[in-house]
Amino acid sequence: METKNTKTKRNILSICMNNVVWILLVVSIVVMGMFKSSFYSFGILSNILVQGTVLGILAIAVSMIILLGDINLSTVGTAGFSALIGVMLMEGGLPIPLAVLVILAVGGLIGLLNGWIVTKLRANALIETLAMNMVLQGALLAITKGNTISQLPDSYKYISQGKIGIFPVLPLVLFVVFLVFYFIWNKTAFGRSLFAVGGNEHSAYIAGINVNAIKIGAFVVSGLLSGLAGYLLSAYMGAVTSSFGRTFEMQCIAAAVVGGVSLTGGKGSILGVLGGTLLLTVIQVGLAVLGIPSTMITLAGGLMIFVAVIIDASRNMYQAGK
Amino acid sequence: MNHNILLDIRNVSKSFGTTQALKDISIQIKPGMIHSLLGRNGAGKSTLVNIIAGVYPQTGGEIFFEGQNIQNLNIFNRQKLGIRLVPQHENSFPDLTVAENIFVGMLPKAKAGLIDWKTMNETAKKELVEYGLNIEPTEMVRNLSSIDARKLNIIRAMHGGAKLIILDEPTTALTNKERNELFAFIRNLKEEGTAFIFISHYLGEVRELSDEITVLRDGCMYPVENPKEATEDHLSRLVAGEEVQLARRKRKTEYADQDKLFECRNLTGKCLKNVSMDLYRGEILGIVGFPGSGAREMCRTLFGVNKLDGGEILYQGKRLRIKSPKDAIRNGVAYISFDRHREGLIPQFTVNFNIGMSILRSKLKYPFDFINLKKERGISEDYRETLKIKCNSINDLISSLSGGNQQKVVVSRSLASDPQLLILDEPTIGIDIKSREEIISSVNDMTRAGMSAIYYTNDYEELLRVADRLIFFKDSKIVAQVENKDLNIVGVTEIRDQVKGAQ
Repeated sequence: METKNTKTKRNILSICMNNVVWILLVVSIVVMGMFKSSFYSFGILSNILVQGTVLGILAIAVSMIILLGDINLSTVGTAGFSALIGVMLMEGGLPIPLAVLVILAVGGLIGLLNGWIVTKLRANALIETLAMNMVLQGALLAITKGNTISQLPDSYKYISQGKIGIFPVLPLVLFVVFLVFYFIWNKTAFGRSLFAVGGNEHSAYIAGINVNAIKIGAFVVSGLLSGLAGYLLSAYMGAVTSSFGRTFEMQCIAAAVVGGVSLTGGKGSILGVLGGTLLLTVIQVGLAVLGIPSTMITLAGGLMIFVAVIIDASRNMYQAGK
Repeated sequence: MNHNILLDIRNVSKSFGTTQALKDISIQIKPGMIHSLLGRNGAGKSTLVNIIAGVYPQTGGEIFFEGQNIQNLNIFNRQKLGIRLVPQHENSFPDLTVAENIFVGMLPKAKAGLIDWKTMNETAKKELVEYGLNIEPTEMVRNLSSIDARKLNIIRAMHGGAKLIILDEPTTALTNKERNELFAFIRNLKEEGTAFIFISHYLGEVRELSDEITVLRDGCMYPVENPKEATEDHLSRLVAGEEVQLARRKRKTEYADQDKLFECRNLTGKCLKNVSMDLYRGEILGIVGFPGSGAREMCRTLFGVNKLDGGEILYQGKRLRIKSPKDAIRNGVAYISFDRHREGLIPQFTVNFNIGMSILRSKLKYPFDFINLKKERGISEDYRETLKIKCNSINDLISSLSGGNQQKVVVSRSLASDPQLLILDEPTIGIDIKSREEIISSVNDMTRAGMSAIYYTNDYEELLRVADRLIFFKDSKIVAQVENKDLNIVGVTEIRDQVKGAQ
């Protein structure tokens, strides 16, 4: 029989395993501060939240599909392409609010197309979204001919660059989006079905869930969020560049997985995604603050995903052995 | 050291994390003995045979094979010694030939490392003849009947030089005739000195075949003295561990026209040709039929899993459109699949979430797609009580429950949608006797309240206790309908085999 002591140990280990992202976050903030005390300044901390917003929204976008047990590699491509369409129409005279709606709509439509191809034509999501990403980024490059579209109007940029007092507006968006998705994931039939389909598609079908509709829905939401991220990022940079958002491409997947969204589907929490997002942003900003050369950033990004996969794998192994 | 003992299991125990799966098991098996392991699912049978075969190590005790401690031998080395496990799920390669299946892993090589087909096929033919299996070595295994496939698995083991063959539930989905054939085959090998460990949950056949019986319950062993004289009653009490009150049902005998709830007219689809039948309020209709006969297909077509190509399903005279399980549930039809892992559970979900799944957008609907979480918990708690689901709380993960309790959760989910027709497809497969009876009696209660049920199982003892009427499927058609009056298991298998043989 097991002693009480080992049982407590087990529980502690279990809690650590499930909250590993928050532990890592605290550790990295402390370590950064040790090397550079200016890390704790209001400027840098609020900068982390600002930087984390686009990443966080993309992380939810990709999580929607990882929860299904699939993957969406087209989030950044969707963000860039929909932002481009919106900005071009805006330059052509479309009012700003409508342009923003167009960006979201284009994102949603791309998601719908992804979902339709993956469910109705039974295409493999990995390859399909990879192809979609290349098409969208290729189109971005072709349309802009490699040039940057800049000089966007101030009211368009307000959401990402504006401040209320000394507080930047952008983290507010992050907060609202996470709150909304907290409710969707935990309190709605759509969210519950999403987890069910990712957990066991056949069981979900037999239980009366319209599996295809849920999958298509997830892709549409993923596209909408990608569009939103495109809007925020273009507003933040004040431009749409030909390599729009490329740095986020793998980071958003890493953020989701570090945050505990299981690559096998059916498992994850919105709070974890938030934690993963903040952790990656802290490391990213921290490396910059510490003066790590930008040529090392890709290496750092790769290592981060590596850590993410190992954490996910060891968590699964731990749970299987329990 | 007694050299007459082939396998000597001494005080073996095994724990997985916090659960103790086996406690202090000691069994000795001599050559030429058939030793049966009886027990409910989760009693430790599979764990024990997996330890013997070397799939995983024991946590305590020792195992000797022909006097040698096999502690440090892995599964392959144990196979070389002569211990072979023939698992429950057929482990042959369907797209290879019979000969290739026998020789897999040790294909005879000719020059240049190529396979020597001629030698292989000739040797295989010789072995097939020797063991009395009349099939061609070049036949694809996919085309074999299930009885031949099972025999082939045993021949494979013999080919590898097996001295001890472990058979994990080898008789499921066999006719009586085929089962007797398999037993004769096993007895032949036994005469030549091969020992068997036989796992089955049919008490009758265990009694018939075994020289020795050990019952496992909650990881503890209960040797059966004089197995030939042991009554089924005695055995089932040993297996269950306590007196299990078998559920009894008061038969429905009156079938009035106004009681007709469902009518199926000329249903055509996968393994169904113009099938018509009626279903009355409050009755349990038993279905008998082999795989591919249309029996299971009938269940799945009514629930919208299989496509309905023609014909119509009427509910109280009104035509139902069922194109998916979702449609079926909305129209008052529920289904419990024979495979609860694949088509029942969401392993990552709690008990509560698993129960709520079928009613998220009906009973639990709140505006804006929200779920009425409070009501969901209430419903789950109700079913936990009525079906006696054993868990610490409804927030336990479903995967932490025993098989029987998991199945109760699946049943709860189906009942939660308030079905008019509940289709049960092997609902008690691999679950303990107590859970089985609890599930059956709750279905009984529901039919008394007016629900109808279709019950498909290969356990005819159970079917005869449950069903009011039996229909027999063969070749995609209904070939016999009888009221469940003065029927026994032999009678059912006779009707079934008769219609099977009458091709």
